[in-house]
Amino acid sequence: MKNNNKIKKYHNPVGESKYTGLFLVMPFIVGFFLLQIYPFVVSFVLSFTKFSINDTPEFIGFKNFKMLFSDSDFWKAFFVTFKYVIMLVPLKIAVSLLTALMLSTRIKGMGFFRTLYYIPSILGSNIAIVIMWSFLFTSEGLVNQVLDAVGISKIGWYGEETPAMWIIVFLRVWEFGSTMIIFLSAINDIPRELYDSARTDGAGNIKTFFYITLPMLKNAIFLNLILQMITAFQEFNAPFLITGGNPLKGTYTVAMMIYDESFKYYNIGYASALSWVLFVVISLLALLIFKFTKKIRSD
Amino acid sequence: MKYSKFRKFTSLLSISLSFIFISSCGKTEENKILPDGSLDKCTLRFSWWGGDDRHDATLKAIELWNKKYPDIKIEAEYGGWDGWTEKLNTQISGDTAPDIMQINYDWLINLSKDGLGFYDLNNLKDYIDLSGYDNEILSFGMREDKLNAITISMSGRGLFFNKDIYSEIDAEIPESWKDLIYLGNKFKEYEKYPLDLDIQSGASAWYLSVVYVQQMTGKQFITMEGELGFTSDDIKTALDFYKSLEDNHVIRSVKTRAEQDGNSALYQSPKFIDGTIAGVLEWGSAVGKYENVLKNSSLVAGHYLKSSDGNSSGWMIKPSLMYAISDDTKYPDEAGAFLDFLLNDEECAEILGTSRGIPANRNAYNALESSGKLCGISYDSSEYLGKTDPVTLSPYFELSQLKEYYNTAIEKVSYGILTTQEASEELFDNVKKYLERIR
Amino acid sequence: MTKNIKKVFLYVVLILGSIFMMYPVLWLIGASFKTNDEIFSSIWFMPESFDFSPYIKGWKTSGAYNMGHYFINTFKIIVPRIIFTVVSSSLTAYGFAMYDFPFKKLLFSFLMAMLFMPQTVMFLPSYMIWKSLGVLDTYIPLTLPSLFASEGMFIFMLVQFLKNVPREIDEASRIDGCGTLKRLFFIYIPCIRPALISIMIFTFLWTMNEFVQPLIYISSVEKYPMTLALRMSMDSTSQGYEYNKIIAMSVVGLLPSVSVFALAQKYFIQDITAGSLK
Repeated sequence: MKNNNKIKKYHNPVGESKYTGLFLVMPFIVGFFLLQIYPFVVSFVLSFTKFSINDTPEFIGFKNFKMLFSDSDFWKAFFVTFKYVIMLVPLKIAVSLLTALMLSTRIKGMGFFRTLYYIPSILGSNIAIVIMWSFLFTSEGLVNQVLDAVGISKIGWYGEETPAMWIIVFLRVWEFGSTMIIFLSAINDIPRELYDSARTDGAGNIKTFFYITLPMLKNAIFLNLILQMITAFQEFNAPFLITGGNPLKGTYTVAMMIYDESFKYYNIGYASALSWVLFVVISLLALLIFKFTKKIRSD
Repeated sequence: MKYSKFRKFTSLLSISLSFIFISSCGKTEENKILPDGSLDKCTLRFSWWGGDDRHDATLKAIELWNKKYPDIKIEAEYGGWDGWTEKLNTQISGDTAPDIMQINYDWLINLSKDGLGFYDLNNLKDYIDLSGYDNEILSFGMREDKLNAITISMSGRGLFFNKDIYSEIDAEIPESWKDLIYLGNKFKEYEKYPLDLDIQSGASAWYLSVVYVQQMTGKQFITMEGELGFTSDDIKTALDFYKSLEDNHVIRSVKTRAEQDGNSALYQSPKFIDGTIAGVLEWGSAVGKYENVLKNSSLVAGHYLKSSDGNSSGWMIKPSLMYAISDDTKYPDEAGAFLDFLLNDEECAEILGTSRGIPANRNAYNALESSGKLCGISYDSSEYLGKTDPVTLSPYFELSQLKEYYNTAIEKVSYGILTTQEASEELFDNVKKYLERIR
Repeated sequence: MTKNIKKVFLYVVLILGSIFMMYPVLWLIGASFKTNDEIFSSIWFMPESFDFSPYIKGWKTSGAYNMGHYFINTFKIIVPRIIFTVVSSSLTAYGFAMYDFPFKKLLFSFLMAMLFMPQTVMFLPSYMIWKSLGVLDTYIPLTLPSLFASEGMFIFMLVQFLKNVPREIDEASRIDGCGTLKRLFFIYIPCIRPALISIMIFTFLWTMNEFVQPLIYISSVEKYPMTLALRMSMDSTSQGYEYNKIIAMSVVGLLPSVSVFALAQKYFIQDITAGSLK
């Protein structure tokens, strides 16, 4: 498709130079070269070294990476992180989309409800929330009491790997605010006329959802998918504070491992290598999502 | 040759790395500022972590200092425990550490491998009076031949029991390991547990098992120099001992404990608050938070358990907190003088009280004793410990990576994933390898 | 009729949902009046008695300053940050979304790459940069990056929203002879106002909750923001602490966040065309 002999053409509106865009993104370019590229490169270089905190980095080639790939904790942490992403992201997006649809209806008092529904996200990883959430799932906690009352047998949430993971997933789903806000803003952008004309054509709610709402929200869904995936892959706070990575490292994420290696075990070289592996994995997945959705998005 | 090319590349890389971390390189004695023999006008930064009483007391002590030495201003940098290691580590590797800092015992291993990570306090003997310490206590702050840190207080882990629950079910506070096992079955009748051990950041489950084996064998699990003193069989004995505690209902299994308490500490557990769990293994300096949550009952310091023939050795003691001076300090004389004030000054000792544990310094200790400030179960426990002739806990023992290995082994044994034999082999290998790497 | 039934149904669902969302806040407020043993042993949110001393003690703090001082510090970080973020992110996103220029793809992938990199290992080198600039223990490391569009997430988000703006609007403005920046301010920004408001809210809330960055860069107690001050007396390694004081101050800390959101939320739903097409 591309012809190398030809000078690259920049598709800009008439009268705009190819440098206009470059000028506009200047803040980013300056910041990138001033503040971001250095830590980025340093972490890359360090991943080939043995470096604990108060000494000189020592070059050791690919040893860190070799050690990583033979480290069973590393594989487990990746497995756990993937499991977490798969359990969390679709659920969170579905819940926030449905809530956003509900909260975008124009009825009295909606502003109040919108604020209420956002409150859990304001709380974030607040210390008090950590205590409360932890206690919800203990063997005699509120969740088990409710389960018991409706006749479902109690669950030993913290005792097994998958239930323990749900504790964290539920917390993050419950804090769906930021995802929901993005949906709200996007729903707001859907021209009302589309719905009006659909109504006159006699389309029902379900039909309008699938033929108007969903297609109009594809960019927002894509955006949330990417953002949620990135945050989920780097999840640290919730398992760190609530399950401590237990039981049997069943909630021990890669980000927790990076943290432990760099701040607790003083293996900064190893932590850097681990970060780069995670970086490559996320990049590849993001690239895949970008490629796969390209056609749908540009329709 | 290919090899030499590779060498060239690596040396080039090392040079560029040193540029990246200019500051972290070349930690030699030459670029340290030597004492100049006079106290000049300056501002010193002093950092510590702690809770309200420590902050209050220390700020008051600083006020007192400022009255005595108005020329040497102390800037206090303090905060909670969360994140403090991250903060201090970053400061230390960025050469921006405070002049005087409160540190933990095991940090010396990683932060000052060769004794060059902190200021050598031997150079400051003109200012710091060390006569309040015996040589053994001083040796805990030595790295190579350099005095890197000074012990503030010593602390040992002891057992503390909920005496009201014990008397309620007519149980005796245990004196020997046998008593403890017996108690398990007794408590079982009442659906309670006499003790709790954890695999959290404290790794108390492994700690007690080690004490047991140290007492039986007379060996030290990890020596002061960082050698592994246990054999694989010793480790197996320790794990078997742990398992027997679970099997005999002395403690909850790891799984039950997790289900009931989540990842919370024992003093945040409803089971402890309501008395279902009636005992804890804790550092004497940290037991206050357990006392605090018990409203209708109270804790009592337990005995240091002994074998049936009366042997009570094997229990351990360690410096719970230390002070160090930054190797980048510009004012070593002044920092030394301030450190001496913190450690030796009687008036200061009175103000600080036991906010950093029971002082190891004799001058400070005497000052507190004469004013009757030494009392409570934490003091009782440390008195009992003194009578058992405790061994000093190796600074290597509590390295985070090792604690992680201990906890993994205990957890796998408890969940039945590994037999004690398999787990002991794994643990032995892990610990041995790690110690070799870090030493 | 059916429309009314629908409305009632919606309200019922909304109210049920609110209970679910509100419970923690009730618990939080309740817990601020409880003692430690009560917090950890009862699941019910109502305290046994109401005593406002945690609020008073928490506000006074054990340090040299009261909580109000730390609140103000937090706002000293938040205000510049929000301004910087909005300006730099909208310029950058506008450039990426609407223009074609040399190295565009490369630069955009750099932007995304920064999002994929775990931050933990970047702390130390970043710290070195700020140290060499001599601005440690100031708010500059916490605020200045926002001036350089450091939040890739926001730019990515704005790019998506800008792409959604109907082309016709752009074309219409060109005919009117609007310049580059004029178009951004008068055509695009009104169109993506909900997204910009979200960015402000996110920046506000994240800064309110941010812990690690200020922890590392700020060492003088005088300059601590609220998050550091809140944890100032939390020492789990020794004698423990009273949770109610900390929870009480968290409740106080929630007030600005909740009010900011309550004020801003109405901008999410409005007639988009109001600002642009007329």
